Amino acid sequence: MSLGRVLRNGTVAVLAVLWLIPTWLLVVNALVPSESYSGGPHWLPEGFGLFDNMSQAWDQAHVGPALANSLLYAVVSALAAVVVASFAAFATVVMPVRRRVLWFWVIYSGTLLPLQVFIRPLFLSYAKSSLYDTQIGLVLIYAAIAIPFAFFVMRNYALTLPREVVEAARMDGASWWRLFWRIHVPLTRSAMIAVFVFQFVAVWNDLMFGITLTTSRNIRPIMAALADLQGNYSNVGPPVVLAGALLVSLPTLVLFFSAQRFFVSGLKIHR
Amino acid sequence: MAPAVLLVTVFLLVPFVWTIYRSFFSDSRTSGFSWFGNYTRFVSDPALSRSIVNTAMWVVGTVLLPLVLGLAIACMTNATRWSRLARLCVVLPYALSGSAVAVVWNFMLTTDGAVNQVLTTLGLGSLAHGWLLTWPGNTLVMILANAWQATGVAVILFLVGLQSIPPETLEAGALDGAGSWQQFRHIVLPQLRPISIIVIGMSLVNGLKSFDLIWVLTQGGPGRATETLAVSMYNETFLELRPGAGAAIAVVLTVIVLAASWLYLRRQLDVKGE
Repeated sequence: MSLGRVLRNGTVAVLAVLWLIPTWLLVVNALVPSESYSGGPHWLPEGFGLFDNMSQAWDQAHVGPALANSLLYAVVSALAAVVVASFAAFATVVMPVRRRVLWFWVIYSGTLLPLQVFIRPLFLSYAKSSLYDTQIGLVLIYAAIAIPFAFFVMRNYALTLPREVVEAARMDGASWWRLFWRIHVPLTRSAMIAVFVFQFVAVWNDLMFGITLTTSRNIRPIMAALADLQGNYSNVGPPVVLAGALLVSLPTLVLFFSAQRFFVSGLKIHR
Repeated sequence: MAPAVLLVTVFLLVPFVWTIYRSFFSDSRTSGFSWFGNYTRFVSDPALSRSIVNTAMWVVGTVLLPLVLGLAIACMTNATRWSRLARLCVVLPYALSGSAVAVVWNFMLTTDGAVNQVLTTLGLGSLAHGWLLTWPGNTLVMILANAWQATGVAVILFLVGLQSIPPETLEAGALDGAGSWQQFRHIVLPQLRPISIIVIGMSLVNGLKSFDLIWVLTQGGPGRATETLAVSMYNETFLELRPGAGAAIAVVLTVIVLAASWLYLRRQLDVKGE
């Protein structure tokens, strides 16, 4: 083995261990029963209190209802975004619409702007229109925020499809509606899945809208509940907080590793 | 198309315009039109000047670290088989949310946390301190925490790029007598250019927008020392109750984000749609 090789493998090993340490500590200390946790972090597993810790997080930080909420928000708004965005992509790519560039920018501009620029007007108008602290309010904003990027991906994907199919179908007298469901949707299915996965994770991980547009525990999404649990760090103890963090990350971890292919394609199409 | 245009306009574009409009009105009780009065606070308010400095640090850190580490790790783990496992260790944190990363790193960095424990065990107890308490150290450690999470995606993207380089090119290079460093420098790097631009653009915008990690770890404190523009905007608007100043920060942040996006989007967008 050459010196270069040894150096390279050594560097890789050191980096991997460095990277693994926080993950390792997260898992190990989430396992420690919270009664037997004292002082400093544990480096080796000791006892098995994971489920107790998780259920404590579930009760004390009300992670349970927040999980259900986030599941609802993530599924419904990601689905809505996919459907609305594929209509829009179909309209701007396939149908003979005028001013395509204008419509593209109107929809796409939403993803370029930072969330901070929307948040206070939304907060005020939500407060006025009784959308504040409601599930429908959060679903609406999450869907709206997801549409621009979803549209961008769907449109780029639709641009790669052959136009001849559409023209042939039009010649045969198919309506636009029929064309959309029979040809466009089946052909863009893989892009739709990629967008759904991507937006599901984005909504799941959102913190800012969660802490700004909700207050009640039965409306609040999961990351707001986790931030709350972290705020109680000294009361509930590290094992419970870490178990909570692990619990709320499980869905995205599973999704990420089962759908990594879609993530990568989503990322590549995006920025 | 109508639903998309409608939703985006009502929920995003109208609030955007409203925020720009609001940023020109002062926060005094009379709330008069004040031209750029809110914008001068960037100079006069030390918390906001600090916030700008922090944002600049975040941008440099979030662009450089994932880029360099991601490229290095992708290149070093591309060849050998066992290194898949090593790669997994690096990619794993990417599946966590910003808030969960904050929880993990709070555990590492608090006064009786893991980092101080290690330092004390190694006999370096004098180095142990409250990592999140003093500036600029607290911003730096949070940038590191962010890199811990964000490098994974850079590794994935660089691997995609590396695998799309045809092996013949490398073989041809080797035949012409290029050493491995020369191969990397003159063959691999130029071919990774498009991917690097994606990674840089993504990290740049994420660095500018970073909110979750800072909010959960320090809430911008202590004493507003770790705020970035994104956090300052939230603090000014909802905690200090100065919506005009908050709006001005949001507008400045938008201008910076748009400028940054433009740098890489102009290479990517094919707007004509033909």
